[in-house]
Parts: sequence; C-alpha cells; structure tokens
Amino acid sequence: MEEKILKIINNVRENNQLAPLLKLDESDDLRNDIGLNSFDLAELTVCIEDEFDIDIFENGLVNTVGEIYKKLAE
Amino acid sequence: MNILLTGASRGVGLEICKVLLEKGNTVYAISRSHTSELAELEITYKGKLFFKSIDLANTEGVYQTVFKEFVTNSIPLHGFVNNAAHAYDDIITNLNLSKLEEMYRTNVFSPLILVKYAIRNMIFNKTKGSIVHISSISAHTGYKGLAMYASSKGALEAFSKNTAREWGALGIRSNVVVPGFMETAMSATLSEDQKNRIYNRTSMKEATDVLSVAKTVAFLLSGDASSITGQNVHVDNGTI
Repeated sequence: MEEKILKIINNVRENNQLAPLLKLDESDDLRNDIGLNSFDLAELTVCIEDEFDIDIFENGLVNTVGEIYKKLAE
Repeated sequence: MNILLTGASRGVGLEICKVLLEKGNTVYAISRSHTSELAELEITYKGKLFFKSIDLANTEGVYQTVFKEFVTNSIPLHGFVNNAAHAYDDIITNLNLSKLEEMYRTNVFSPLILVKYAIRNMIFNKTKGSIVHISSISAHTGYKGLAMYASSKGALEAFSKNTAREWGALGIRSNVVVPGFMETAMSATLSEDQKNRIYNRTSMKEATDVLSVAKTVAFLLSGDASSITGQNVHVDNGTI
C-alpha cells in the first residue's frame, strides 16, 4: 500500500516538474514537505480513491502521509 | 466526447440528447423513466447512447448508481449537462416543506453531488471538461407560483459561477443556459391564457424553441466555447 501511495504522489509531483521522491515518511506534510497545492491534493484524492476505493478527504482534512496510511487502514 | 446528461427522456433533455448524438458524441443518459423516443435513439445510435434509470430524488444513491455503476473513471468525461428538474408550482403561502425538500434534492443537492464526481472524473482523466446547467427564466423574471422552483435554479446559477472560478485553472468550464418558457411537459399544467400572457412578456412573443436551447447547450460543451465560462446564456426569445 505504501509503495502505491509513493507512486501516486510521484505522479502528481510530476505535474509540477518536481523530481520523484525515493521514500515517504509518515510525518511528511503533503503541502509543506511534499509540495502539493490544493489542485494536486484533489488529484491525489481522486487517484487514491480509484486505487483503494476510499475517499481520504470525505471526513475532514488530511495533512500528512501518516494520516493517509491511517485512513486507508481504517 | 463523452457526455453525461440527466433528464434525458423527454422535453429539452431529449432534444439535447438528439443534438449531441447528431454531432457524434457518446451520451450517458439518465432519467427516471425510459421513453419510446429514447429507445428509438438507442437503435439509431447504437453504441453511442447508454441509458440508466436513476431517480435523482435519491441523493444518497447518486455516487453509487452514477459513478460506480455507470460512468466510472475508465470513461473520460468531457461534459456534464444538468438538465433534470422537478417542478413544484404553488404560491408561497402554501409552501410545503416535504415537497420543497424533494424538489431541492432533485434540482440542487443531487446536481451538486454529480458535479463533484464529474470534476473528479475530469481530474483523474485530465480532461478539460465542460459543465452546463439548465436554469429557468423564472430565476430572473418573477412569475406567480414559481418562487420555490425559481429559487432552486438561482442556487444552480450561483454554484456554476463559483465552479467556474474554482476549477478554471484546470481548464474545466461551467456555464448555465437559461431557457424561456418552452412547450414541454414542464409547462403543460399552464392554461393557454397563462401561456399567452407569459409569451407576450418576451420580445418575440412566442414559446422558446427547444432546439435552439439544445444547440446552445451543445455549443457550450464544444471546443468552440473554449473561452466561455462562468456565464448565464439566456435563450428566452428576449425576456427583457
């Protein structure tokens, strides 16, 4: 699951010409550390939903990579 | 282009469906009932018209029935036409809450949910999609008995303008077509006298042409309208 999230995040980063990340830390902030803007976060949500059938933003904001893992593990 | 269209079985929705198919689009049509007119189109345009019976009064079911069972992410959506509407005519002092809620579910709540997932489909597929809402002249010119209905259309117009601002950066457009009174089932409850009084308030003194409305919708969906967003386009015989 974590590999798939890394792949999705790198795909979204590619839109902004950001180099792919080699790994994610649970504490990484999606905006400040990973460099995603609100459109990128929308794309991230849509791609995660397509892969896992879970809408991570449905019940409030998600700020970190660890919070995504937690939502998907619920 | 792949277009999702609600309220496709009759009236202006059926006309929009025809025009879109004539232009070579693939139409994913939704309505409560399946009509013989729609069945004929399915034969003529085999493989280009897909129908699913869905009642938009069931807002909770919209995501599952429309986007999980019908238009999934594997179908890149280029356009969404929000045409289905429930007419609720009465004077304000007779306003009934459950009728009002039912109308708002069909006319406002479900369309907003449909826009949410239509935009998500467009983001997933990276399509610069076009959204078109069908409003009503009653949101701009007052008519006795249409206050509740008109309020639901006013809500859509405000939502469309803000959709345009929010998603324009991704190339996603949102516009509204504002038809005048047409000769459809929606206005069938009006008497001839009422209709004539309504038509006499227009510059052209007659019912709005349904085909003109449908072709305007098709234009706004097309690339020819690529710089048009956040607009209300009145197709109303000059109700000014």
